[in-house]
Amino acid sequence: MSFREKSAWVMGAIMLATGVFYAQLVAGAPQAPVIGPLIPYVLAVVVFSIVAQVGLAIASPKEANAPADERERSAIDRAGNWSGVVLGFGVVSAIIMYIGGWTATMLVHAIVGALIVSTVAEYALQIYFFRRAV
Amino acid sequence: MGKRSPITNRVRELREEHDRMSQAALGEAVGVTRHTIIAIEQGRYSPSLETAFRIARLFGVGVEDVFGWEGE
Repeated sequence: MSFREKSAWVMGAIMLATGVFYAQLVAGAPQAPVIGPLIPYVLAVVVFSIVAQVGLAIASPKEANAPADERERSAIDRAGNWSGVVLGFGVVSAIIMYIGGWTATMLVHAIVGALIVSTVAEYALQIYFFRRAV
Repeated sequence: MGKRSPITNRVRELREEHDRMSQAALGEAVGVTRHTIIAIEQGRYSPSLETAFRIARLFGVGVEDVFGWEGE
């Protein structure tokens, strides 16, 4: 497994786990101020991401320093393109729900949720395209 | 996994003819990862024209001696 695929697995797992953590925080107090669940979520993502990337870089320093090659760039670009579609769908859905009566707090949570889902989708698609060889 | 390209290649054969050059060494010489060389050899990835030329030049042959079209 290449360095970038390992990185995608680890980052996807972190985004999924922290996304579940965020959902639990929101479910516990759905109408609380947005900043409440957002701060611990962002901190968790930042800390776990840094620790994971440092760990991966220590394990494979040569690969970590090498830029993505043409096949990897193509896989990353295609995954980014499709994750943008997922994000767009989530944001538009959240806006429709807001027009339909959701509060502004729920709108923000839904948009953050769409961002989390699109990021998880991006890493999952990267893995798919890396394995499919693009 | 993934669809096979109609572009065929002799990369593995040429590597073996050149002192059994490793996939990692070839990848490093032409600027791609070992995994990309594996994907090229398995027909799962068609390299860019630039990489195709780099591979051919490294082996001292023409691009058409390394890459071909299925059935030709």
